[in-house]
Amino acid sequence: MIFQLTEEQNLIRNMVREFAETEIAPTAKKRDEEERFDRPLMFDKLGELGLTGIVFPEEYGGAGADYISYAIAVEELSRVCASTGVTLSAHLSLCANPIYLFGSEEQKQKYLVPLAAGEKLGAFGLTEPSAGSDAGGTKTTALRDGDEWILNGTKIFITSGGDAETYVIFARTDKEAKKHNGISAFIIEKGAAGFSFGKKEEKLGIRSSPTMELVFENCRLPAANLLGKEGEGFKVAMKTLDGGRIGIASQAIGIAQGAFETAVDYAKERKQFDTPIGKFQGIQFQLADMFTQIEAARLLVYKAAYRASKGLNYSTDSAMAKLMASETAMKVTTQAVQVLGGYGYTREFPVERMMRDAKITEIYEGTSEIQRLVIGSALIK
Amino acid sequence: MNVLVCIKQVPDMESKFRVDAAGTWYDTTELAWRMNEYDEYAVEQAVRLKEQVKDADITVLSIGSDKVKETMKKALAMGCDRGAHIADDNVSGKEPCEIAGVIAEYAKEKNFDVIFTGMQSQDRGSGQVGVLVAEMLTLPAVTTIVDFVYSDGRIEVKRELEGGIKAKVAFTSPAVVTCQLGLNTPRYPTLPNIMKAKKKELLSIPIKDLLKVDARQHTDKVYFPEKKGGGLIIEGEPAELADKLIQILKEKTGVLA
Repeated sequence: MIFQLTEEQNLIRNMVREFAETEIAPTAKKRDEEERFDRPLMFDKLGELGLTGIVFPEEYGGAGADYISYAIAVEELSRVCASTGVTLSAHLSLCANPIYLFGSEEQKQKYLVPLAAGEKLGAFGLTEPSAGSDAGGTKTTALRDGDEWILNGTKIFITSGGDAETYVIFARTDKEAKKHNGISAFIIEKGAAGFSFGKKEEKLGIRSSPTMELVFENCRLPAANLLGKEGEGFKVAMKTLDGGRIGIASQAIGIAQGAFETAVDYAKERKQFDTPIGKFQGIQFQLADMFTQIEAARLLVYKAAYRASKGLNYSTDSAMAKLMASETAMKVTTQAVQVLGGYGYTREFPVERMMRDAKITEIYEGTSEIQRLVIGSALIK
Repeated sequence: MNVLVCIKQVPDMESKFRVDAAGTWYDTTELAWRMNEYDEYAVEQAVRLKEQVKDADITVLSIGSDKVKETMKKALAMGCDRGAHIADDNVSGKEPCEIAGVIAEYAKEKNFDVIFTGMQSQDRGSGQVGVLVAEMLTLPAVTTIVDFVYSDGRIEVKRELEGGIKAKVAFTSPAVVTCQLGLNTPRYPTLPNIMKAKKKELLSIPIKDLLKVDARQHTDKVYFPEKKGGGLIIEGEPAELADKLIQILKEKTGVLA
């Protein structure tokens, strides 16, 4: 077992870090305040760097890198801006990846290639007002009508909704089938007749990443837009979320790392009682705990990413990684605010933003409770 | 066209430096390393030249331990075609003339049309290597360039002079140019190019095969300058501060009578 990144992974980390610090970080605070998604910066530039297709083979416009490299990229972006991190994660894990895994060759050429190149932004629509953790509760319907499908329903909390061009959407195609069996996945493009956007959410964190409602009203889709087999949508969704968890876990690690570094720098500079507060054991112990927790979570994330790259089953691993990383992010960012004291509570320092951003990692792409369910049910099979 | 770019791996300048045990260099443990800033401009310009003339081959050269290969990989990922790593575990003990001698020895029969270097390294900062290489290869050297235009063997550069003045200099290749801040904005290596970089040739050559120049200088001592008396910080309410300041100015200076 070698606990060392490859030269290539190091190069990727250095490149993304330099890019993130130079280009993304300077506007992170303002974008958060203005709840503004800056597409040219937060997505188009990622495409130019080859990050939008990082794990896909070159034949589909990807870079052919492994999942650890992907985890590193999301981590480094999220270290300065969690909104940019989730933009990449949702695009790659939730939209491009199911098309890569379940799409026909024609669908891959038509949809995956422009997604991997960063020419199109991807999104994923599973959650509904009555179906979140319980994907089987999907109410959106897709009825076959000759060579077409007619979609009706609403999807909520869709990351990059409105701005994305390509959507992977889940709808019930068989009302008679048992809960999970009657669902199918579809690829839908922005602009399709009957596909519109509802309200934009106002959120606690990741405010620079748009979250939108999707509305389907007699939206007609060619039969060719079915992704995977009819009735296998639940499988598509679950496989997709396995990968997505690596992305969100990496985002959580990045947020925690950013807050931790701010806390360390602050502890070295801030003096109380004529002593830098970092010299006090009370602060040192907090920093030690933060560092240890981040490292432990990071190893779980890299292990899940390693297994994904090797084609091994990583469902439980990615659930453990996401559970640990997101709860670590929440703990570490809260502690970072505490280390910075009053300053941590103000917008002068980024830790309050990071604390707000961290919370969502315990919720989306499977709440911590669902991760425990995934892990637990694998233990008692 | 044959192009050589000479780069150096240096510590991140935001590192906390300590003098090493011998007292002749900085302690290299626990430092983060990166490409010398000026060398990044050199690599970028070489790659732009290749993009312009199309038919060019860029060799990136660096001297040092195996660790410098990390930095060379970045240059390869930015667009250099091959790497020449001169293996030396004691590069910090070499003085500029020796470094230049090694580069010149490597380059002498390879007919490089343009040799790019940074104008100086961020750690030693002698600014001598580029010009010494040119001298040893009997090539023209043009230093501190901030603009570079190549056309059919003719090179036109702008040099930065003191006081905001610039000079336009024209010459023909082969030549050595040393690159200054402002020449260009180095690109980020893209993911596909990072992946391709691992397949590019990166040969290691032992330094003893190329070191044929004797040292002409050595570093006696590296040290932090002695701290001069710190500034005086006065604290209190504005009115109180003003009184204190007036008192100090009266007592210690001739500003107020």
